[in-house]
Amino acid sequence: MNAQLRQLLVSAGGIVGAILIWQFVATVPMAGGPLPPFSATFTELTQLLASGEFWSSLADTILISLLGLGSAAVIGVVLGILIGSFDPFRYATLAVLEFLKPIPPIVILPLVVLIYGPTTQMAWFLVFFGCVLPIIMQTVAGVHDADPVTLDTARSYGMGRTEVLARVTLPSAMPFIGTAMRVAAPAALVITVVAGLLGGGPGLGRSIYQAQAGGDYPSLYAYVLVLGMLGLIFQGVSRLAERRTLHWHASYREVLPA
Amino acid sequence: MAEANVSSDATVRLRVDGLAKSYGTGDKAKVVIEDLTFTVNAGEMVCIVGPSGVGKTTLLKCLAGLQPATRGQASIDGRTISGPPPEMALVFQDYNRSLMPWLTVRKNLMLPLRHLRLPAAEAKERCDSALEAVGLSHAEHQYPWQLSGGMQQRVAIARALAYRPEILIMDEPFASVDAQTRFDLEDLCLKIRQDFGMTILVVTHDIDEAVYLSDRVVVLGSKPAKVLKIVDVDLPAPRDQITTRSLPEFARQRTDVLSLIKRPA
Repeated sequence: MNAQLRQLLVSAGGIVGAILIWQFVATVPMAGGPLPPFSATFTELTQLLASGEFWSSLADTILISLLGLGSAAVIGVVLGILIGSFDPFRYATLAVLEFLKPIPPIVILPLVVLIYGPTTQMAWFLVFFGCVLPIIMQTVAGVHDADPVTLDTARSYGMGRTEVLARVTLPSAMPFIGTAMRVAAPAALVITVVAGLLGGGPGLGRSIYQAQAGGDYPSLYAYVLVLGMLGLIFQGVSRLAERRTLHWHASYREVLPA
Repeated sequence: MAEANVSSDATVRLRVDGLAKSYGTGDKAKVVIEDLTFTVNAGEMVCIVGPSGVGKTTLLKCLAGLQPATRGQASIDGRTISGPPPEMALVFQDYNRSLMPWLTVRKNLMLPLRHLRLPAAEAKERCDSALEAVGLSHAEHQYPWQLSGGMQQRVAIARALAYRPEILIMDEPFASVDAQTRFDLEDLCLKIRQDFGMTILVVTHDIDEAVYLSDRVVVLGSKPAKVLKIVDVDLPAPRDQITTRSLPEFARQRTDVLSLIKRPA
């Protein structure tokens, strides 16, 4: 048996084990409590998969997460490159950014709900707010990490400032940006759910809230199962994307014998 | 040999005139280069040698327009260098920092050509011939980090060749490769001069290399850097690693240069 297959089997065993523990806890020590057994949750899940409402709610969640993440990535990287490359920008923004950094998006949720109401825009903005700062910070770090010899090389060949930024500084900062994106992708999902759960925004969060309010625990945990799987997919896709964009970086290289 | 001593303005391409560079100002200023004056003629191969830490890299940065001089100036064909000159290309010692790891060999060569806005066919032809000149046509789709050190430095040289500079400046280009590769690259350098008719300025701390490559050697003394002497190297061409290096003349020239550097300044 090869190592990869064995690893896969052990992982599958871990999942089965977790499900068995859940089933046991819900049926023996907590029988009749608020935690539904896995079997009931799973049955509920199969019913959910047949409803159109579930799929549109799932689509909302994915859309909002990706919109928020995407806009945070574009704006975060552009701002990060500017702040990292031009000192006046840095001095003007550093204090503000450092101030905003420890503020979790949930703190501004009531304000954003007041402005936008329980809408897609509200959730989108929250996701954007939660993801953009770490992306800016990491991009700035990446810009500062660009090798001076590489930059001198580009300049010595007469490349202009914008060209150097786009073709040398940005790729140099990519490993840092990649790390930020890998952390931000699951965070975007979490914030989307929070926006639905606490702010009434569309998506799985709102579905969870409604299930909870109706006391429908099997349905609630079925949504949680879906969320968990969605989180795994987000994590997997962002890892894959990182590996593909950064295949040249020292931590991903497959070095051939020269 | 009469011509070597007549450096009439008509043949001077690169002129360094009273160049000084210091960092910081006032009492805290650190003078790296005190006062350098020398010229490089068209088509000439000149080596700059000096003890390490003498400020050779600083000098190159001033020549390449990457740093302004504090006093004096460097000029090409009488025009003062104030930014990276379009007719010049630079090869750095640290090939693994100077090549872009995210680009294949061919794309590394193409990068500096973009802003020249060449027709695609010409850009391609330049890359092809540059890769062929350094013997790396087969490696064009590989990434620099998949290649050996010597091959990487040849990629960096090919990138400079594809840019078609009239003046090629190299900063300790062979200091990070093994001895055999070093000999190969030195000969590549001589071949480039022959084939492309470039003016080449090489900074090195290796005296044998300087004598082997050069028409003239500029010997720098420390610190701060100043020109101790400019030595004409009159070794016959074509040069060859075995025969040239075994000439008594070669030994005499390298002893001359070495004694200049060893002598306490």
